[in-house]
Amino acid sequence: MGNPLLCDDGVGLRVVAELKDRVDQPEVMIMETGIAGLALLDLLVGYDRAIIIDAIQTVGGKAGHIYRLDTKAFDAARHVVSPHDIDFTTALEFGKKLGLSMPKQIIIFAVEASDVTTFSEECTPEVKQAVPVCIEMVLRELN
Amino acid sequence: MKKITIDPITRLEGHGKIEIFLNDAGEVENTYFQVPELRGFEKFAEGRLAEDMPQITQRICGVCPEAHHAASAKCLDDLFHVDPPSPAKKLRELFYSSFFVTDHTTHFYILAGPDFVMGPEAPVAERNILGVIAKVGLELGGAVINTRMKNHRIIHMLGGRAVHPVFGLPGGVSKGLNEDERKEVEQIAKDSVEFAKLSLKVFDDIVLKNKEYLDMVLSDAYTHRTYYMGLVDEKNRVNFYDGKVRVVDPDGKEFVKYAPREYLEHIAEHVEPWTYVKMPYLKKVGWKGFVDGKDSGVFRSTPLSRLNAADGMATPLAQAEYERFYSTLGGKPVHQTLATHWARLVELLYAAERLHELSKDPEITSPNIRTIPTAKPDEGVGIVEAPRGTLTHHYITDENGIIKKANLIVATVNNVPAISMSVKKAAQALIKPGKKITEGLLNRIEMAWRPYDPCFGCATHTLPGQAPMEIVIYNSRGEVVKRLNR
Repeated sequence: MGNPLLCDDGVGLRVVAELKDRVDQPEVMIMETGIAGLALLDLLVGYDRAIIIDAIQTVGGKAGHIYRLDTKAFDAARHVVSPHDIDFTTALEFGKKLGLSMPKQIIIFAVEASDVTTFSEECTPEVKQAVPVCIEMVLRELN
Repeated sequence: MKKITIDPITRLEGHGKIEIFLNDAGEVENTYFQVPELRGFEKFAEGRLAEDMPQITQRICGVCPEAHHAASAKCLDDLFHVDPPSPAKKLRELFYSSFFVTDHTTHFYILAGPDFVMGPEAPVAERNILGVIAKVGLELGGAVINTRMKNHRIIHMLGGRAVHPVFGLPGGVSKGLNEDERKEVEQIAKDSVEFAKLSLKVFDDIVLKNKEYLDMVLSDAYTHRTYYMGLVDEKNRVNFYDGKVRVVDPDGKEFVKYAPREYLEHIAEHVEPWTYVKMPYLKKVGWKGFVDGKDSGVFRSTPLSRLNAADGMATPLAQAEYERFYSTLGGKPVHQTLATHWARLVELLYAAERLHELSKDPEITSPNIRTIPTAKPDEGVGIVEAPRGTLTHHYITDENGIIKKANLIVATVNNVPAISMSVKKAAQALIKPGKKITEGLLNRIEMAWRPYDPCFGCATHTLPGQAPMEIVIYNSRGEVVKRLNR
């Protein structure tokens, strides 16, 4: 996930662009998207597992750090609400309540971003350096 | 009161922030509403091919990419001095109506609905779509998902994918509809009309028939008398895709109606020291501060504004709802901010009806979908109504179509002054000396900005750790007395 125009916000897309060349398993679908919340739900329906790669900004976080987050971490974000869409946890629960086939496991690899508000197609140096590390983490997760 | 200067550098990035300052008596003295500003767009756009802008600009926002795409395509028409053929304009409007159905549906049920269905005092964890479907039924939740999915199908049909479609070109569009696709669109449109009617009934049953909510909607705490802006067609009816920008004064009289190219004659920008965001205001009225009234250049650009700025709706069911809206709320214009949620549903119905009309238009399957530009490009302006307000794209290029300068006025920026005023007024009405500041109270302050559905641009993610909106209350010594993170 990410925004390719907003500097570090595009880190997820950079990881995925390279994963496309490195992953050759027919059961693995690699997608790029710039959306979240309810719209993300539409993309997840029907899959058994999902790995999401995205930028994140945390209080006191160091740019380039990579976090592996699972559903326990999502529960803490239940009350985090986008101004015009629902949070991830609520979106998943909503999908389940409607009887949609949601992934049984979702892992997020989140890269700590330095700048997500400046228009640029390049990431900052620390985040750029995190891209190959993140790729290896995702490949290990897949295997 | 201790005067506190807010250093813009201390403002939080990546999400919105409301800061409320109390005086010695514990009353609200000042409030500041801050949105994160996306920086450097003009430099970023310089040197790029103008024809790439519909693809580039729709990636600015993960919430309303179609709005940027449409505004950019119209800007390119103007830039290249080319008039798309009639079928192409209708296809663009069909595409755009479909987008409006999805966006207004999402906003109402995800953002606005919970406040009224669960109530403003309900805990945050319950004030969401899960709470709504627990109360009104799973079937409605299913209808929300279905309506969105079906209309995304239309966007996919025309633009090649549901998100970040490839569709608008200077002089037309890249793909038309065949008869099978047209039939599918027609059925989706019919279903969307029924869904919109259901949504208006939900609002009726839950809000309008509830005296406490109706009183809240009509209360002075959520009322401002401002100018109102919206795009209108040649009969001054609401149009999301095309027309002129009409502004009415707080009494509802037309103040100005301008073509896109004239926007700089009418809109100027005001700068405040505590935010980088520049605040648009009506040039010919002037900036008089964050105040209401005919002498203040503050205007609003929202679903409510669009209904106020127009003389009616262009489709029959929406027109009937428009008339009911005004007769219920005491005539035109309506100044109550919470009525924006109702206005949004009237627009949802219009979007669905318009989609249906266009799906049956004899030209809609025409293969004549593009006029190739032949003139040299120089300067262009394109304006559409994004769901959350008027969106302007302005490009200046060299004769090869390479951008020399680009300016965007995004929808939410129009409303920043009004949102600031709305938050302050609600805060002043609700925060009183000695009164405990509860989460429910802070939520009622948030209800002052939610109708505007402010777009924080880069807020495309909802991972743990992101807090798109924060309210902080300071006492007269500058100490934080309450903080609420969302």
